[in-house]
Amino acid sequence: MKKRLAIVATVALLATSLFLRAENDEEVEAHKQVLDLTGAFTNEGFKLRDGHWAGQIKPSERAVIAVNLYAGNQYWFSAAAANTKAKKISVDVYDEAGKPMTTEVYNEAEKASAGFSPTTSGQYYVAVSLLEGEPTTFCLVYSYK
Amino acid sequence: MGLACAATVLAEPQPLTQDQLAKAIKIDSLTIPTPGELFAALEKPGKPDWAAQYRTPIPVTYRNRAQIALNLGGLIADGFIAVEAQDSQQVKNIGTDIIKLAKALGVSENVLSRGNSINEFAESSEWDALHEELEATQNEVKTSMQSHRDQDLVILVSLGGWIRGTQAVSASVMKNFNEQSARVLRQPAVVSFIHSKVNDISPDLRNEPLVKSVNEQLAAIEKLVGFQSGKATTLDDVKKLNEAVTKLMEEIQSKGDAK
Repeated sequence: MKKRLAIVATVALLATSLFLRAENDEEVEAHKQVLDLTGAFTNEGFKLRDGHWAGQIKPSERAVIAVNLYAGNQYWFSAAAANTKAKKISVDVYDEAGKPMTTEVYNEAEKASAGFSPTTSGQYYVAVSLLEGEPTTFCLVYSYK
Repeated sequence: MGLACAATVLAEPQPLTQDQLAKAIKIDSLTIPTPGELFAALEKPGKPDWAAQYRTPIPVTYRNRAQIALNLGGLIADGFIAVEAQDSQQVKNIGTDIIKLAKALGVSENVLSRGNSINEFAESSEWDALHEELEATQNEVKTSMQSHRDQDLVILVSLGGWIRGTQAVSASVMKNFNEQSARVLRQPAVVSFIHSKVNDISPDLRNEPLVKSVNEQLAAIEKLVGFQSGKATTLDDVKKLNEAVTKLMEEIQSKGDAK
């Protein structure tokens, strides 16, 4: 059944991404890659948000996305590149003042996740950085429980 | 072994600059939390009596498109409440109403087929799938609105959902008040973001009586959810918030005189 949920979520997300705007092939691929990564969280009871950000990042740059989190929940923010041009990426979480938060980190070349459990509800920022490699397209999603 | 088990704790990166904070990307589908996220946080200290937060069925015969969009968001939040209560029949009833309102907006067939999925998942008590299906339904409604040049209505769906979710959670917190539960209500940035988006919609829509009234009340609500992060949230704070969002919700669902 968990597999079925993951498939439903994947189909829904991909369908949504297709309708929201004409995503380019790299964005669709990055989205697919990140959904592969989040399957493990789904199996651990995390619910995947049906929303994502996709865009290009250059070396030493970071995309910063504002999110609003609730104290008591656990979150995993996951990002993946569309291809292996990206050699190493990171996902980091910051509080509303831009101070880095301590997170659990999972890194695997062009994929990365950051786990975070806020003690205060409010706005946070998630940054996706390309640490090594060539410019390419990334996709960010998040899961919660 | 799951990813979470394989994770390690690494060194913290450099802080973000003011410029990076100011230029941060804000998008509806990630920056505004779903009612499901809010409800999940509230459940941590103990599962609330979600069924106590049901409301009587609302009319589904509104003619004003802004009012339909606001109520559609509210109904989706109701769907999340029914899922938390694990009440199949209530989920199906709300799913039917969601589709009726969505039809009134002339949304695509994709959205309408979601109604069948909601029923199927409710029949088989697939609660996690229903969370995702409800959010996917909301996103498809928004996508359909965008393609029908109803872009301005999209934020009203999110707003309706946020108001109804906050009404249910604040009522639940009031019932069994404790500081830990009250903490989830601190969400000034969400209201600020929604408020700024409402201010961006076309003047014609923004000046419709209902939208204008909702927008004016949002400014006050933004202050009510701005509890200081280091300060305890009191029962009185929560009561004031609940009164404000309840008044707003009554106005939104009223079959009165929205243009």
